[in-house]
Amino acid sequence: MNWKFTTARELLERVGESALTGGSAAAGRAEGAALGEESLPAWLLARDSFYSGKTEAALRSEIAHRIKVTRASLDRGVAQAQMSYSGMTKGGAVTLAASTSWPVEDRFFRLALTYALAINEVNACGGRIIAFPTAGSCGIVPGVLWAWRDARERALGPDHPRFQDAFIVASAVGILIASRATLSGAAGGCQAECGAAGAMAAAGLSTLLGEGPEASFDAAALSLKNSLGLACDPVAGLVEVPCAKRNAFLAANAITAVSFARAGVRSVIPFDEVVGAMKAIGDAMPQALRESAEGGLAKTATGLSYWDKIR
Amino acid sequence: MGGRTIGILDVFGPVMIGPSSSHTAGVARIAFLARKIFPYPLDRALVLFYGSLARTYRGHGSDKAAVAGLLGILPDDERLGYALELAAREGLDVEIKPEYDGPERYHPNTAVIELWSGDKHARIRGASIGGGEIRLQSVNGFEADLDGSLEALLVLHRDEVGVIAIVSHILAANRFNIASVASHRKDKGDEALMVVEVDGVVPTSIVAQIRDLPSVSEVVYVPSIHA
Repeated sequence: MNWKFTTARELLERVGESALTGGSAAAGRAEGAALGEESLPAWLLARDSFYSGKTEAALRSEIAHRIKVTRASLDRGVAQAQMSYSGMTKGGAVTLAASTSWPVEDRFFRLALTYALAINEVNACGGRIIAFPTAGSCGIVPGVLWAWRDARERALGPDHPRFQDAFIVASAVGILIASRATLSGAAGGCQAECGAAGAMAAAGLSTLLGEGPEASFDAAALSLKNSLGLACDPVAGLVEVPCAKRNAFLAANAITAVSFARAGVRSVIPFDEVVGAMKAIGDAMPQALRESAEGGLAKTATGLSYWDKIR
Repeated sequence: MGGRTIGILDVFGPVMIGPSSSHTAGVARIAFLARKIFPYPLDRALVLFYGSLARTYRGHGSDKAAVAGLLGILPDDERLGYALELAAREGLDVEIKPEYDGPERYHPNTAVIELWSGDKHARIRGASIGGGEIRLQSVNGFEADLDGSLEALLVLHRDEVGVIAIVSHILAANRFNIASVASHRKDKGDEALMVVEVDGVVPTSIVAQIRDLPSVSEVVYVPSIHA
């Protein structure tokens, strides 16, 4: 079995080859998938199993455990106002959850914004989270997926295979970005962190809604395109401003991307080429905008005033 | 790098204490591995932060993370938050120093850890490359490339014909699959450091067998941090 891939194109070819040779695992076929049709999540699990030596059941159980950790962070951020040492994080998710002034009616959308912010506020305050792909962007994927579950499909949960598959396909997008670009704000700016997480959330939500890999990667491309060039300019060098609120904004980006992809409004530039552009843009970004706290928002008058507050 | 492949649980992880995967979790992992490489009672430690780490370490708790790693605390452990107090209680003397002008070749998130015990000293340089993933790039002046994902052996040896083959043979004879092997020497015939990454936990008897080889002066066993 060839487990190597660096592009989405190659990844889908590998999965296709695997289907022709009978699938990567006996139980590797998605619910309702026809014979000769291998599912992307099953193939990715079989690959992780090959490299780690762990069984697919053990991997599924670890994924379920990590999904539960994301829920614990989320619940904490929604229930208790998160107040940071710097004073920049002030329980925004609690305020948002209690707001009666939403211009948007849809509960899924409102929860996605609230949850993404809640999880990242817990991170800003030194709570326990799962880096997904990084700590500064950890609210986006679980925020969107848990919002769908709470608003639309209460039967889903950490042990549900389709819910797990959404996290797995989101991870695949992260693997692809890490392979050809970077997931580090210091190396590629915030497009590599919140931007990547937005693309991952778009692919994860597509999968949760029953879309196949092609449509999921297309949604990822749409979301990633709209985060290219995003500066990493954290105020006082802290993972708070603009990071925490940006988690909610990128959740909205991901939902927009999935809305487009499902409607059939496709990305003109394919996912793999968007990742290439992301790499080139990251390389061209000045160091001041790559997590050095020496440019952008960090250098505004208000931003600079926070240095004194944390000393 | 060895047979390292990024998997689902690398992207969907690690479970960690906030706020920054590269400045908090990655730094704790670098320091944790440094301590595994230099397992002697510590007289003192010096942590040098370069690049983005030098500028933002305070707000990200990178100092706490480094001290936590030196105390054997991994990124998912809530004790990381009060590692400075724990170190004070244990009498561990750690100096944290930001270095604003690092060499060009250093990764933008680099930490150098220097450890002292009696007349022994170690200098380990690690890069935090994103999402909590790390690479140890230099050990005591020897080039290395270790990410902590697999069990590894660091073999300090004289640069002689056949040493790499003998070490490989011992591991193979005991059915250990070598994921990667790389040896870097300071000069021809001088000392060299061989880094061997293996699949599975190598028992101490086999480590001792390698240590007993005439051209080998030291073997350090570095466990995986992904367990």
